[in-house]
Formats: sequence, structure tokens, C-alpha cells
Amino acid sequence: MNTNRDDSLGPTPDSPGRRKLLRYAPLLLLAGCDMTPEGRVESTLRSVQSFNDWVQAKVFDREKLAAEYPDEELTPEGGFRVNGYDTDRPDIDLEHWTLTVEGLVAKPGTYTLRALQAYTKKVMNTRHCCVEGWSMVPKWGGTPTREFLRDIGADPNAKYASVECGDDYYTSYDMPSLLHPQTLLCYEAYGKPLELEHGAPVRIVMPVKLGYKSAKWVSKIVVTNDKPGGYWEDQGYDWFAGL
Amino acid sequence: MKSVRKEFHHPFIIRLTHWINTVALAIMVASGLRIYNASPVFSFKVPEALTLGGWLAGGREWHFFAMWLFLFNGLLWFGYNLLTRHGRQTTLFRPSDAGGILPMILYYLRIRKAHPPVRKYNALQKLAYTTIPLAAVGVIITGIAIYWPVQFGGLTRLFGNYDSARMWHFLFMAAILSFVFGHLCMVLIAGWANFWSMITGWKRIRE
Repeated sequence: MNTNRDDSLGPTPDSPGRRKLLRYAPLLLLAGCDMTPEGRVESTLRSVQSFNDWVQAKVFDREKLAAEYPDEELTPEGGFRVNGYDTDRPDIDLEHWTLTVEGLVAKPGTYTLRALQAYTKKVMNTRHCCVEGWSMVPKWGGTPTREFLRDIGADPNAKYASVECGDDYYTSYDMPSLLHPQTLLCYEAYGKPLELEHGAPVRIVMPVKLGYKSAKWVSKIVVTNDKPGGYWEDQGYDWFAGL
Repeated sequence: MKSVRKEFHHPFIIRLTHWINTVALAIMVASGLRIYNASPVFSFKVPEALTLGGWLAGGREWHFFAMWLFLFNGLLWFGYNLLTRHGRQTTLFRPSDAGGILPMILYYLRIRKAHPPVRKYNALQKLAYTTIPLAAVGVIITGIAIYWPVQFGGLTRLFGNYDSARMWHFLFMAAILSFVFGHLCMVLIAGWANFWSMITGWKRIRE
């Protein structure tokens, strides 16, 4: 997935009921409906999914780098995919945009794009793998998230961080993945400022996770020890989503 | 006067792992096709009726649940065969079986009238039962290659790149399915007593 609110991940647009149903599935479980066969199947699948998240966290090697490709193997700029429709261009004031940081950090507050761009820019050609199965190799450019987080005194022992976005998308990460050397606060693609439909002014790029973790239009980061959810994760997609 | 005797064909662990595998494979294939349909790596989609999970997240949940069933059941089967040496003489294909391939093909084509002599399985059956576990290994390895293309990037590169690894994963699945198809045909032809022996272990033979 490339666009945050990409509905092609969900049921067909003419069946919005299912997603609504899934959103309230935990309530049904609370109500004791997990004694129905469907409920039992659902809760078994969820338990195994949590176990798989645990396995993924164990397998994740924080030093292991995703492959970086030579320029000849880049996906042509015309193929830099946007996968969605209604929320491609959220109403973002690029002039006055700031990134808010909260939670377990020594220096919480708001940071301007210029402040983020003060760090040494990392440019990398890495594969963006959508959970749907397609993938592409754009040329990303941005500030390694670990440099920024270290600078503002994020608690190195914190477990999680969540992000909120300009289109009310949200997702969250385990700290080791956010501190991975290839995780970027990305503000460039193909050597040019990020375009709006690709998440301008700043998006997350995280080659070690599926595309729905590479949140666009990031507006807030919260460092926390309470496990946060995510827009897709809360509907049944796996939380760790490691690659 | 016809007499009926019973022959023991399939030990308990073999029967158990066979039926667990049937369930695991059915889930893996149906949910895998649901995942495939989200962004087909080949130029066709699979009818939704053949898929499991309802939507992509559901397909993934089923797939990554049944993978454990498939894996550990396979390890149990493999371990059992290794420890008990089950099937070493009757099922495992050996180079010396190669000579039996052509006569069996001729027999199946009805060119040769008499069934070539066999103990339990003929040369073609041995070949099928010996190669199919290799396809299972292939489907697992390519599965890891596309599940963890960063953590196991070397595996992904072994199969070319990310997309070709996805194709290999699909092709190994197709190889398993083609085996299943042939297997079911043979089961239908062989009849009830043969099928029943995979449940009880014993086969009734009329002489």
C-alpha cells in the first residue's frame, strides 16, 4: 500500500458493512460471543497473529539492512505508485507545517521542516513492499529517524512510538524498527521535494516493514510504553508487519 | 471361493499427518489465493469462491495460522520417516527404480497389458511420493523468502528477486496441487478399500 487510506486493501467498496463489523469485533468478544464457532475461529486467528508478531520481533535484526539498489534498477518515476483516491490530497498547510513530538522525550515540542532537514540527508534506493504484494524501488531521501530521535532525547528504552497523520491515518512501531538505520523521516523522492500525494512534506519510509507502516503526511510522533494500534492494524492487519 | 484378508498399509503417524496435511494444505492454498488476488504476480485472478479469508487481512490471518500446522506436521512426518525408516523400501524412489518408469507409463497407456511387478508402490508412485516433499520444502523456503525479504534477503535473491520469488512460491504450490489432482484420480480408481486403509491403516484384499 502506498496511500494511507487505500481502500483497495479493504473489502470491495460496495460492502462497507464488513469493516464496520470488524471494528466492533472486540466488543462482541467482550459480550461473550466468542463462544460461537465464528468467534472462536476469530479469536484463535488473532492469538496466532499476536504470536506471529512476537516471532517477527524476535527474528528482526536491528543491524540487518534492506537491499539498496543501483540507480539503473530504480522504478521509473512514472511508476512511483499512488494507490488511492479520496484522501490523496489532504488539506495540509505546507508553509506552516510542523512535526509535533510528545511522550517519552527530553525535548518534546514542534519541529519545522527546516529543523528536520538540518541533519545529514540519507538517500537510498530501497524496495517499498505493499501488503497487497506489489513493490517498487523509489529513490528516497530524508533524515534517519534515529538521528532525530536521539537528538531530541527520546527514551532509548521506550518500547513503542505512534504517528498521526494529516489525513487522520495513524500507525505505530516497535522502537527498534523506528531506530533502524534505514528508517527515514522522508522529505524527498527522486531528488525532489516529496509531492503531496506521496505524503508531503514528511512521511515515514521504513524498508524493514510493509508499506502500511510508511505513513504519509506525518504530523505527530508519540513515544510511549503502551502499545498503540493503527488504522489497518485495528482492522485485522498484523501489527509488526516486518519484512 | 473368494477369501478376504487384511493387510496393514499405513502406520498411525502416517495417517495422522496425512489428514492434518490435507486440512493445512486446503487452508494454505485457499488463503494463499486470496493474498495472491490482492495483487496478482501473474496475469490472472482466481475466482473469489475458491479463496479463504474474505479480504486480504483475513487471508493473511488464515495463511499465517495454517503455516505452523503445515510446518510442524511436515516435521513430524519427516522425523517419523527418518527414525522408523518407514517407507525406505516401499516408497522412497531410488536410482534403481528408474528402470521401472517406462514399463509403468506403457502400462498406464494400455500399451503394455501386464502390470509390472511391484511390492507396494510402483516406480511412478515412488517418484511422485518422493518428489512431493521436495515441493513442500520449496513452497516453505519461497514462503520465507517473500515473508521476510529483508531478514532473509539471501533466500529472496536465491529465487531472483522479490517478484520472481512470489512466482516460485506460486509454482511450488501449483506443483503440489497437480500432485493432489493425480493423487485424487488414483484414489478414485483404486476404490473404497484403498481409501479406507488411509483411515484405519488396514486394507481388505479379496483373493
